[in-house]
Amino acid sequence: MNRRELFTGTAGNAACHAITPRGAQRIPNVVMRTHENRVVRFYDDLIKDRQVLINMMYATCEGYCPVITMRLVEIHEALHARMGRDLFMYSITLKPEQDDPAALKEFARMHGALLPGWTFLTGDAYDIDTLRYELFRHDHIKIDADLDAHAGQMRIINDATNRWLHVAPMASKMTVLQHIAWADPPKSFEQRLEENRRLQERIDQEVELYGYRKVI
Amino acid sequence: MSHQQADLGKTPGAAPSDARDGLDRRTVIKSGALVGAAAIITSKKSQVLAAGAPWPAPPVLCGTTTPTSPATRPFIDNLPVPPPALPVLLHPFPTRTANIAAGEAARAAHQRWSEFLPLIHYHMTAAPSLHKHHTDLLPSYLWTFNGHYPAPTPLNYYGVPSIVRFRNALPEQQDNPTFGVSEITVHLHNGHTPSESDGFAADFFGPGLFKDNHYPNVYAGVDEFGGIGDPREALHTLWFHDHRAASTAHNNFLGLNGMFLLYDAKDPSHELPTPGSLRLPCYYGITDIPLILADKRFCPAANGRNEVFQVIGNNPVVGDKWIVNGKIQPKMRVRRRKYRFRILATGPVKAWSLSLIRSDGTQAPVTVVAVDGNFLPSPVVISDRPLDVQVAMRYDVIIDFSAFPAGSKVYLRENAAQNVGVAVPDPAPGLPIGNVLMRFDVVNMDFLFPADTPPIPSVLAEMPDPIVPDGVFQWNFTLENGRFLINGQEFDHNRIDHVVLKGSSEEWVLANDVAAGNWNHPVHIHFEEGFIMSRRRRVSQNPDVFEDVPLLPEELGRRDVYPLPPQHRVVMRMRFRDFSGRYLIHCHNMNHEDDFMMVRWDIVDSLEELTRKRREIDERRMLAGLPPQYKHGGLV
Ligand SMILES: [Cu+2]
Repeated sequence: MNRRELFTGTAGNAACHAITPRGAQRIPNVVMRTHENRVVRFYDDLIKDRQVLINMMYATCEGYCPVITMRLVEIHEALHARMGRDLFMYSITLKPEQDDPAALKEFARMHGALLPGWTFLTGDAYDIDTLRYELFRHDHIKIDADLDAHAGQMRIINDATNRWLHVAPMASKMTVLQHIAWADPPKSFEQRLEENRRLQERIDQEVELYGYRKVI
Repeated sequence: MSHQQADLGKTPGAAPSDARDGLDRRTVIKSGALVGAAAIITSKKSQVLAAGAPWPAPPVLCGTTTPTSPATRPFIDNLPVPPPALPVLLHPFPTRTANIAAGEAARAAHQRWSEFLPLIHYHMTAAPSLHKHHTDLLPSYLWTFNGHYPAPTPLNYYGVPSIVRFRNALPEQQDNPTFGVSEITVHLHNGHTPSESDGFAADFFGPGLFKDNHYPNVYAGVDEFGGIGDPREALHTLWFHDHRAASTAHNNFLGLNGMFLLYDAKDPSHELPTPGSLRLPCYYGITDIPLILADKRFCPAANGRNEVFQVIGNNPVVGDKWIVNGKIQPKMRVRRRKYRFRILATGPVKAWSLSLIRSDGTQAPVTVVAVDGNFLPSPVVISDRPLDVQVAMRYDVIIDFSAFPAGSKVYLRENAAQNVGVAVPDPAPGLPIGNVLMRFDVVNMDFLFPADTPPIPSVLAEMPDPIVPDGVFQWNFTLENGRFLINGQEFDHNRIDHVVLKGSSEEWVLANDVAAGNWNHPVHIHFEEGFIMSRRRRVSQNPDVFEDVPLLPEELGRRDVYPLPPQHRVVMRMRFRDFSGRYLIHCHNMNHEDDFMMVRWDIVDSLEELTRKRREIDERRMLAGLPPQYKHGGLV
């Protein structure tokens, strides 16, 4: 109850300034180990107040994991200016018992994914299960019990604004980038008006070219 | 400045405020500058911004533990009816091309604008407001259109085009403590609507902007039949709702939906004996009542509110209170005559299984006259099974209360029980109070009330000419690795999964291959109504053997939501006429929709364009190692 009262006191301020990040209410603050063998707390050190991209993988996964990792490298390339500054990528192993930091680092190296702002994570198997459930659950027992069920998804979180999105990394690069942008820090009204104007220009160009609104 | 002044307990909808003030002030607050504000001023004549300043203070969320909603006594509140939307004169005046300078969201130019110039204007402002779901509850913070939950109902006529200016006055995302996303794109389900006004999922716009949705209000078949199209293509009960990609469930859960009615000579807005009229109960709010269903869960009272419970993440929670037209377990006084109820399930997820129960516990008949707004060939009396209403479906039912003595009570039963929280004896034998959605209190007619309508005609609708399909296409609804997919892929608003030619028609097979006992998908196809040709169910996997499932009598008409249980194949046919552009198919379980069980398909104007686009699709598929989707280089 105390906490609620505390929130009440700040509700007015919250409306005029920033909202309270709620991620801590769902994201377990578990202890994890990075591919650099650094010990981190998942929420406090990696998520809090940040915009992040999270996916799940394991080093020996041969199906779509390498394909997805390649796609993530492309995404990193497109957003490299922001990576490690206001945008972070986390790849969490689904098989912590076989993926120690060294194995993850080797996987990252092999896939050209040793890049700034991109951290591979391992940890306690039980903790990772909890994380997987909280980040990717569908509230459906059959899906949520299936380990592989989450390797093909990417969670996008902006903790500062409580935005949770998800996208299939195998969607088009343009779409993945757009989804990430949907979780970007809010823009000023003028900025959004300007974006709206530019979008209209692109629509008009398409209509001129093809006779209708084709892609944009 | 404004939020601290906001009166927590006061419902802002009560006090009309000036639209100019509301928006001006808001824009100044949010943008900190007058530059943008000057551009998006609306006229004083525009519809009152019911949710104008002071904005209700944002909600304080009640933690993460799923609460049990507070107790509410049954049958305290009267059933409210959403008010008819009031036409206004829009300023700036609507334009064919997007009025970017005035703050309109980017879009392609309106199609067939001069042909269907909008004669009626509406202004629908999405804004936060407080709503009381029950006398025993404190107000809850919702997102509503014009301060009403459900939204005011536009009452439109075929042949009278209208335009609805949807304005986004929701809080900026950094000021938004809810888990809705304050960007909207509004779909009229299932209007025969040009693409740029169809609420395409990725065409959303943020606070401070508006968008004019042009509703030509024509029957499908304008090019074929001339005038305003083929009257046999009429549908009368529609609804509009936010369609924001990845946040449709939350935004609808918060209240961004409402009904939309279309009248014509056959189904006029009155019950008088005019030529061609079916003479069904049709006085809006008097004998023709929307029943807009939703489920919600409420937090304990705090700060003068009972907020709706929300958790962070992408899916809203399942409710434990059943809501009809915004109220929990309301009652309605009905005269001993026929009434029409337009039942709509607004989701996000809950499907309803409804029956009418007499006070002796037996089931009373209801007569279904329309499904998804389309009149059935003939009325279907349902008296021995419940009515299955899945998300986004509409059922128009007639209940004849003259069959009940004055003073009797009749109950609408939902198969799943809600949490009432007050010990109440069963209102009827075998009917626990938790299963009661609402109560009808039957009273005698009086001379001031409209006299009863004639018996329901035995023939309600002539079906349009049978569709001879120009092509066949299959849509597979699957669940792979935890992803809800259509034809193996998640929604990608930049990717076109199928292209059809304007003026053509196709047979589509909707297939759900998940294991029996798994997800049912209420599949919604935008743009035109279709016919179910057949329904089959897989009885064995290897070899693949299907058996025919006989169609229910209420499946024999036209519709736009196709229930697709596991292992089912629905074969349906539809036409694509009059307009072109980008359209959607999706599962209307909004959690699945937000998980991107949705596809974009396009209607194109020329054979040349069709061939080109189909070739592009097949080239893309080949690059991805998939077999081509079309024969003969895209020519079907
Ligand atoms: Cu579904």
